[in-house]
Amino acid sequence: MADEPTRQWSDEQLKSDDLPKKDIIKFIQDNAAHSFLNEQKLLGNIKNVAKTAKKEQLIAAYNHLFESKRFLGTEPIEEVTEQVRSVKLEEKPKDVPAEVVDEVLEAGLFIYLFIHYYYYLFLCFCNFLLTGSQGPPKYFKSVLKKGDKENFPKKGDNVSCWYTGSLEDGTVFDTNIPTTARKKKQTKPLTFKVGLGRVIRGWDEGIMTMSKGETSRLEIEPEWAYGRKGLPDSKYPFLWSPLTF
Amino acid sequence: MALEQLSDVVQRCQALSDDSYTPEDHDVFSVSGRTCIEEGNSAQVLSLVLDEKNQDMVRCMGWTLLPPLIQVLLKKRDEKPSPCLAIFSHLLQTCRPKELLIGLLEQLEHEDPDTIAESLHLLLNPLQKVLLCLGSRKASSLGMTLSSVLDQLAKLPLPHTKEQEEDDVFSLCRCCTDLMAFVKPFVHETRQNLLSSENTNKKAGEQGGGRAAEDELQTELLKFSMKTLSHPLLELQLRDPDTLAVSPLRDFATEILNTLRAIGESVSSLVFQPLLKRKQVLGFLEEEVRYPKESLASLAHLVFVHHLAADSFPSVFSSVFCLRCNMEHVCLLLSRTEESRIQKGLELYEKSLVRLEDGSLPADLLQIKTFLTVPQNLVKVMTMCPQHDLRTRGLKVLQLSIDKFDTEAKYNFFQYMLKTSRHSGVEGYIIKNIKVQIDAALQPGNSNVWFEGSQLLPLLRKVLSLPDGPETDLLQYLDRVMESLNLLRYLVIRDKVTDNQTGIWTELYKIEDTFLKPLRVGVNMSRAHYERELHDTRATKRGKAKEESVISVSVGSEKLPNMTSDSQIQALHSALHTFDMIESVLVRIEELTAGKENL
Repeated sequence: MADEPTRQWSDEQLKSDDLPKKDIIKFIQDNAAHSFLNEQKLLGNIKNVAKTAKKEQLIAAYNHLFESKRFLGTEPIEEVTEQVRSVKLEEKPKDVPAEVVDEVLEAGLFIYLFIHYYYYLFLCFCNFLLTGSQGPPKYFKSVLKKGDKENFPKKGDNVSCWYTGSLEDGTVFDTNIPTTARKKKQTKPLTFKVGLGRVIRGWDEGIMTMSKGETSRLEIEPEWAYGRKGLPDSKYPFLWSPLTF
Repeated sequence: MALEQLSDVVQRCQALSDDSYTPEDHDVFSVSGRTCIEEGNSAQVLSLVLDEKNQDMVRCMGWTLLPPLIQVLLKKRDEKPSPCLAIFSHLLQTCRPKELLIGLLEQLEHEDPDTIAESLHLLLNPLQKVLLCLGSRKASSLGMTLSSVLDQLAKLPLPHTKEQEEDDVFSLCRCCTDLMAFVKPFVHETRQNLLSSENTNKKAGEQGGGRAAEDELQTELLKFSMKTLSHPLLELQLRDPDTLAVSPLRDFATEILNTLRAIGESVSSLVFQPLLKRKQVLGFLEEEVRYPKESLASLAHLVFVHHLAADSFPSVFSSVFCLRCNMEHVCLLLSRTEESRIQKGLELYEKSLVRLEDGSLPADLLQIKTFLTVPQNLVKVMTMCPQHDLRTRGLKVLQLSIDKFDTEAKYNFFQYMLKTSRHSGVEGYIIKNIKVQIDAALQPGNSNVWFEGSQLLPLLRKVLSLPDGPETDLLQYLDRVMESLNLLRYLVIRDKVTDNQTGIWTELYKIEDTFLKPLRVGVNMSRAHYERELHDTRATKRGKAKEESVISVSVGSEKLPNMTSDSQIQALHSALHTFDMIESVLVRIEELTAGKENL
């Protein structure tokens, strides 16, 4: 672990107009624990944070950081999360029994993926490791409702899905599932050709393991979604964290 | 006089039924009516028009009074000539929709912006009411109306700055807002039709995904939306919420996107359309006509650069796929010459690239035509666009695109650009990039096969060459020649003879023959030539014998003055300095390679 970071600016320098907000933000982002950044609302693209945060807030956060000493790497929580993630990757997928499904639903979790296709395929079992993927898959799938286990999409097939996308903390950032009965008639499922790199890799690979009618939860690492940088300058700059569909 | 004529004909027609009015009756009514209104006797006309006994006549002929009424209403905007307004309202309620439509549409056409804006403001609401009375036959009339309105809108000057949008001197913003209100009920009707047709389809047991007979109203609204995407939206510079909190133009753009959604067009399908093979929709518009490429490009710009309709755009598409689709739009926009198109093309390209990780794009993307055409268009922008900031931005975007390619793709791209750009400055810039890549490859741990060793040599040979041998015009090709020399100097310094990672040392004797020797010859020849010129010019100046030059240059209709002798001398001096510069690098390279070549 690196040595504790030291104060880079005096109080005078902090308050001065010569010191841009972006520098303070960068320093805090480089040196503070993830949970600290989350609490202080300093996560994400520096430009966007600079727009929303006032200089006073930043100075307060900067001082608070040194007082609380919640620097990067000091949080035990981060390490635990890492471990949990790696554990999940090694597990073989089991069919989730009904009780667990209820628990999952009660916990208020999200994904409902219904898949229909238009082409019939040969039988294959639900495989965790797919042919053609290099290295371990960067997503984790839990089946919430079994499909027909017979019809799996192959590369280039048209698939239609209903989906909900959320962040680790449960915030929903995208969905095509209609909320009201009136809108139900208007909305259509998202249709696209799977396996051709048109969607994020977590989708391409994950959906090919799902059979018709299946409902699953896909937790996708940033590498197979929008990368560590997310989508800068977009309305959703936070899409750099692991995404759940 | 006119009033009496009017009263007469009205009286006469009271007794008749409406199919026995003669053409003469029509004429007298409309001429005398117009005169009365123009002369200011509208109050009397009003009472005639409101009279119960005259309603059949009014229904039949009233619409002919529309032109003079509207002209009066437009002229006296500030006063409230209430009789005219009252006559107008009454006619709108009483006369037949088809005829009212003709009367109203005629009055939309004007030439000066002020009148256009006022007539749109006055007439859009009545037009809407009239169209709504047409029932199920309204589609083609709506189409005609929208077409006319957009033609008029196109004559209004567009705001270019945020302040101009706020001031809205020519009322474009107001007209756009009025237009959105106008279109609303028709959009709503189309949405309802879609829903009910889907329900009946479901009941009949049809599979979802194929549309039955095309709804005409839908077609007209699609045509309208596509047209607005081209004009005014593609020409306008929209401001983001943090620059301009309340923007009628941004609202207008958002409403157009909402309209598309309401009539059943998915925004993401439209944006990705260049790459998707759409099913042929049963309808009477060909796909190319139905979805004009320029409108789709405008739509992509609104979605990716201004983030309009972001809430309904699925966040699942991969960034590479978005880039591939947007390349088609960018290609179209950059191939145009209008500043607005080029700017939007650059913005869209930039936004698509920024989503990608550096070094992530594979070489096989360069097999796609647009990935080669767009750089060519960029070169045109960088070298020929009159606006300085667009040229600068073009260069920035070019560098950004290079950064996103992986090493093999960069290698292929550089080769392609050296072959096709035909511009010394661009070539120089590419050669600088090559140097950067070689430098990166030579860093410990970064070794790659493309910018080292045997693969590098073909590229180096292309770089270290003179386009026309010893006769190359060194001043014209200065950028390229200097960068090539810089690269060579860098290589002989950085790559030790004993390592020879880049292979330069084994190639050096060839380079001496094909590049350095002809270059030396060229420098000497050019220097001799220019020194001669300098000498002659000085002599001429001293002798004050002014020769008439053979060539003259005119700009506009003015002939430019001949270059003064002093300017000529200055130019010749700077040319000679350039040759000195080239020579100094040549000498340095010789020093560095002396004796080491034969190892």
